[in-house]
Amino acid sequence: METAQLKQQLKKQIVESLNLRSVNPDDIKDDEPLFGEGLGLDSIDSIELIVLLNRQYGVVIEDPKEGRKVLVDINVMADYIEKHRTR
Amino acid sequence: MDRIVVTGMGGISAIGTTVAENRTSLIKGTCGMGRLEMFPSKFSDTLPVAEIKLSTEQLKEKLNAFEPGITRTTLLALHAMKETIAGSRLTDEQISSLDTALIGASTVGGMCMTDEMQRDAQKDTPGSEYLASYDCGSTYMYLQKRYSLNGPVNTINTACSSSANAIMFGARLIRSGKARRAIVGGADSLAKFTINGFNSLHILSPDLCTPFDEERKGLNLGEGAAFLILEREEDATGKKIYASLSGYANANDAYHASSLSDEGIGPYKAMSDALVSAKLDPAQIDFINAHGTGTENNDKLESMAMLRLFGKVPAFASTKANIGHTLGASGAIEALYCILNLEEQELYPGINFKNPITETGLQPLRMYQKAKLTHIMSNSFGFGGNCSSLIFSKA
Amino acid sequence: MELDLNKLFEQADTKMLAIEPSYEDIPPGILRRMGKAVRMGAGAAMPIVKNNPKPDGIIIATANGGKEDCVKFLNQIIEYDEGLLTPINFVQSTPNAIAAQIGLLTKNHGYNITHLHLGLAFEFAIIDADMMLSENPLNSYLLGAVDDISSYNYNFEDKNGWYKKQAITNKTFYEINSPGTIAGEGAAMFLVSGKRSGSVAKLLAVDTLHNEDEFLMKEKLQDFITKYLPAGERVDLLLTGENGDSRLLKYYSACESVVKDNVSVARFKHISGEYPTATAMGLWLCCNILQNQSIPGHMMKYAAPTTRYKNVLIYNNHRGTQHSFILASG
Repeated sequence: METAQLKQQLKKQIVESLNLRSVNPDDIKDDEPLFGEGLGLDSIDSIELIVLLNRQYGVVIEDPKEGRKVLVDINVMADYIEKHRTR
Repeated sequence: MDRIVVTGMGGISAIGTTVAENRTSLIKGTCGMGRLEMFPSKFSDTLPVAEIKLSTEQLKEKLNAFEPGITRTTLLALHAMKETIAGSRLTDEQISSLDTALIGASTVGGMCMTDEMQRDAQKDTPGSEYLASYDCGSTYMYLQKRYSLNGPVNTINTACSSSANAIMFGARLIRSGKARRAIVGGADSLAKFTINGFNSLHILSPDLCTPFDEERKGLNLGEGAAFLILEREEDATGKKIYASLSGYANANDAYHASSLSDEGIGPYKAMSDALVSAKLDPAQIDFINAHGTGTENNDKLESMAMLRLFGKVPAFASTKANIGHTLGASGAIEALYCILNLEEQELYPGINFKNPITETGLQPLRMYQKAKLTHIMSNSFGFGGNCSSLIFSKA
Repeated sequence: MELDLNKLFEQADTKMLAIEPSYEDIPPGILRRMGKAVRMGAGAAMPIVKNNPKPDGIIIATANGGKEDCVKFLNQIIEYDEGLLTPINFVQSTPNAIAAQIGLLTKNHGYNITHLHLGLAFEFAIIDADMMLSENPLNSYLLGAVDDISSYNYNFEDKNGWYKKQAITNKTFYEINSPGTIAGEGAAMFLVSGKRSGSVAKLLAVDTLHNEDEFLMKEKLQDFITKYLPAGERVDLLLTGENGDSRLLKYYSACESVVKDNVSVARFKHISGEYPTATAMGLWLCCNILQNQSIPGHMMKYAAPTTRYKNVLIYNNHRGTQHSFILASG
């Protein structure tokens, strides 16, 4: 899968799994921070995203703290998926 | 009105099936954590739990409780209730009186029958015997029937502070004249539901929990039940008075669904308001039975709140290192332990502790000791920011 | 949506689903996580909190709130065989999530509690509020109840025989003489205080009974009226939770026989459907009746000649054993 396609898919999956009803996936910028500012996600969301990465891409992140280093923005996430995916 | 006093109690946990057994274990510093054995789970070998080593079948035999749909949570509640009533001086007439309240708490309720519940919730499966048992209220409706209770019976759920709130509600019913005496407490059993739930939040420790330790990794789940009998002191003439409930408070952290605010607003307010209600200064608290779950968030913020309120923090410890986090039962079991502290004028060691949290430097009590104790505080802080604090005083 | 209580929405099913608003008062980032009970409860509470000084506490009743998320989490446990699970369903499955979320949204650090005792949960919430106000007369509290129809409670209760087996309409279900009722859901919230001026109604008394015996219930109701009805006054309206379940008719008949012929009798379960904390909806309708001094025709079972509705007695029976008595006046 091409990186651009992966990023697009990832945005849709994030919106769906976190039930971000008022967010259009196309409006999420690739370098927009997921936590704090930008999308304003929180610690429970980070766990939800770790599960998403596991279920959709077979990416294993054991520790939520380590996960925050990956769940920075779409660019960093897509990059990590490409390097570690098993699905 | 004069004091609200405790004239009866009963309890069961992983370290004892009676109050006396619990006390013996606390003195010895017994740790009730071990392997999960009562139902098959992926976590049996990886997550320590404080399981009561009486199977559900054994509990049914012991308590002569074979009604269809009876759950482990109800059996544990019944076990504690039996001890409470047996040791009290309540007559059958008083138990069934319109002015005797039963105020209970549970967070798991009948959801300990996790697999049955999942099946029953599907549209096309036949119903199991537990259809009417999943609600937390069903435990107290069972006790109501079994003991022919005719007074107010209510069930409260404020997550981990549930039974502390049950104790408060019972006391307030007495103070307001809506009841003359109240049997108050809580019960929860281990359940696949809660083990998986807490695990999904990454707050279960794969090792024995270490409350207030710098290297703490999370909590261990436990199970149990405890009840107290509260009465007005004027009604307790000729009875043994274990302690008085001299203060209490309920406050909300209002920050996040499953973690406490950086300022520990809820814990601070609950402790501070409890002191006001007891008309006590912070310096008059001799010991705190802390909520102390062993999670990074709770132990740090509870410590900060204690420092902010007390300055010089009194001796404290968490009995969750002995019995795990018993959720809806924790407020009541830990209240019972505070009453033992006061009755016996002794303090139990906080176990599994090595090094203090760097930011606070606070160390729980580590040795069993006799002590002159007059006022003891018990904290319970739950999901949803539901914080509570109880103060018990020497009889 | 303009509210016209004279208009009854007809529902032909064994489930009366709530008509949900757009919840403009709840930030999207928080709304996205809420299960139905939490968003109905918070949605009903927010207008009160927005338009009044901050209450000193939040007292909520729910018997089934959060259980939909509970089932979602259970399904995850089974589907992924205790593997990696998402936590939000678990966090939202706790019944205290409703009161907690309202507290969170409004940054309310005061008293916060959830009562759960099935058909008497709301009654104990009222008792709790009454005690809080006696202890703190200058305070005000948000008091309310919410329950939703979730696959959890609907399927359990259906298998336990609490719902009609045939599809019926809420317009005719009082006339069908068979066991069972229609499931309902809803949220009703109130601001309560000790201040009479500017108030919509006064709660004079609330009491509960747990017993199957209708004669005992009748006795209790008679005592309740004798004790709490102001001297020289009468009950102007009996508002009941009669719900079309033929097995429970004897309790409602017993109740009607206590208040006698010159009292109007009205019913509300065709509006709310049956759920454990439905008396909160009954109380909400009672407040409307007291304010507007009129009863929608579809609610009326028996219309006595009445010049003014002052004292309203609300009686509800939950599954035969839990009886609640509320006396309110305008």
